[in-house]
Order: sequence, then C-alpha cells, then structure tokens
Amino acid sequence: MTILHTISMGPSSKLLESCLSVARENDALLFIEDGVYYSSELASESSIPKHLLLFTLEEDLVARGLQHSILNEFETINYRKFVELCILHEKVINWF
Amino acid sequence: MDKTVTKPKKMFTFISRQAPYGKDRAQLCLDAALAATVFEQKVNYVFSDDGVYQLLKHQNGGIIGSKTLGNALEALDLYGIEEVFVNEASLRQRNLNPRHLLIKTTPVTNTQLANLILKSDFVINL
Repeated sequence: MTILHTISMGPSSKLLESCLSVARENDALLFIEDGVYYSSELASESSIPKHLLLFTLEEDLVARGLQHSILNEFETINYRKFVELCILHEKVINWF
Repeated sequence: MDKTVTKPKKMFTFISRQAPYGKDRAQLCLDAALAATVFEQKVNYVFSDDGVYQLLKHQNGGIIGSKTLGNALEALDLYGIEEVFVNEASLRQRNLNPRHLLIKTTPVTNTQLANLILKSDFVINL
C-alpha cells in the first residue's frame, strides 16, 4: 500500500520532518502551495529524502517565481498529474 | 474653534515574515504599512525570515488566482516608504543575495534590526 503525502507549508514549518517520521518507502511526496519552497534551491535547511518519490506543483512554483530554481530530485507536475497521483495511491494524507 | 494641531511623527516599523500567497499576512502587512504612510508617519519596512521570499523576481500570482505581490512591492517607494530593509541572515539561510531581489533593499543584521525595533514607537510584526 502506498500513500501520497501532500505538504503545503515551507521548510520553516518543519512539516517535512513530521511527514518523514511516518512516511514509508515507495510513498510519494507532493509539495504544493508554500510547500513548493522545499523543492527550490532557495529553501532553507531542508534535508530531502532519497528513498521517496518527490513531486512539486508547477502552478505554485510559477506564482512564487521559483520556476528557475527547482532541485533535480523533484519532478514538476501539473494539476492533471496531481489528480492521477491521487488515484494511483490508496490514500492521500495532507500535511498543512 | 478651529485649531490645527500638528502632532510629531511617530516611527512605525513593519516586519513582514511570511512568504507570499500561502497565507494573506504578507499582503496585510503591506496594506497596513501603506495606510500608515497616508497619515504621514515615518515608516520602515523590513523583510525577514520567509518574508524575503516576497522579494523574488518573476512572480506570477495570476496563475493561482492571486494578485502578484511582487508588483505591489515596487510601489513601496511611490508611497513614500523609503526605508526598506532586508534581514541578511534570512537571505543567507535561503541561498539568496541582493541580485535575486525585485527591489532595492538595505541589508541589516539581527543586531541592527534589534536597534531599529528599539527606536520605533510602534512595531507591527506579521
């Protein structure tokens, strides 16, 4: 069983740490809203996990002027793919 | 009786610490500061912590149905807010330098910021 975790606040929220304490291998993490700062070179002090699938939402990146500073570990997706991810995973957990 | 009293100006310091768009605090802080200038007060504006993200170039709030906050910041100068500061430690923690920023700001250390707070009559911290 895999879970999609959505994270919607930036690194100063420490939401990623909370999420990682329960996330399991092969879970997917999707960064949305202010969460997209995690996926940027301009993020402060975040340690990005290697064993999870990492996605970041294009619209929220573009709104914040982050489209040119995305870290390699992240796949940029649109809303259509967001919906697909929700369907593909058995559960969605929101971190906000 | 018609008496016009000119009160001495008070110094207001606004500290904006939130990223744009996710919450409305960044916009509220700006609105409050602009309102203070209407009353001809001395206004300082400080970007600190995640607030420095408001200063990034190439923002486009329209794509998520918001106003682009970056555009509004360019008006700070027009409203007579000349003292715009940015916390240099907050920039450094986010791999940012003044080249990344939309408007001209004066970098301040935490000590300088503490002094600014000390000499202000009112501090609005959002």
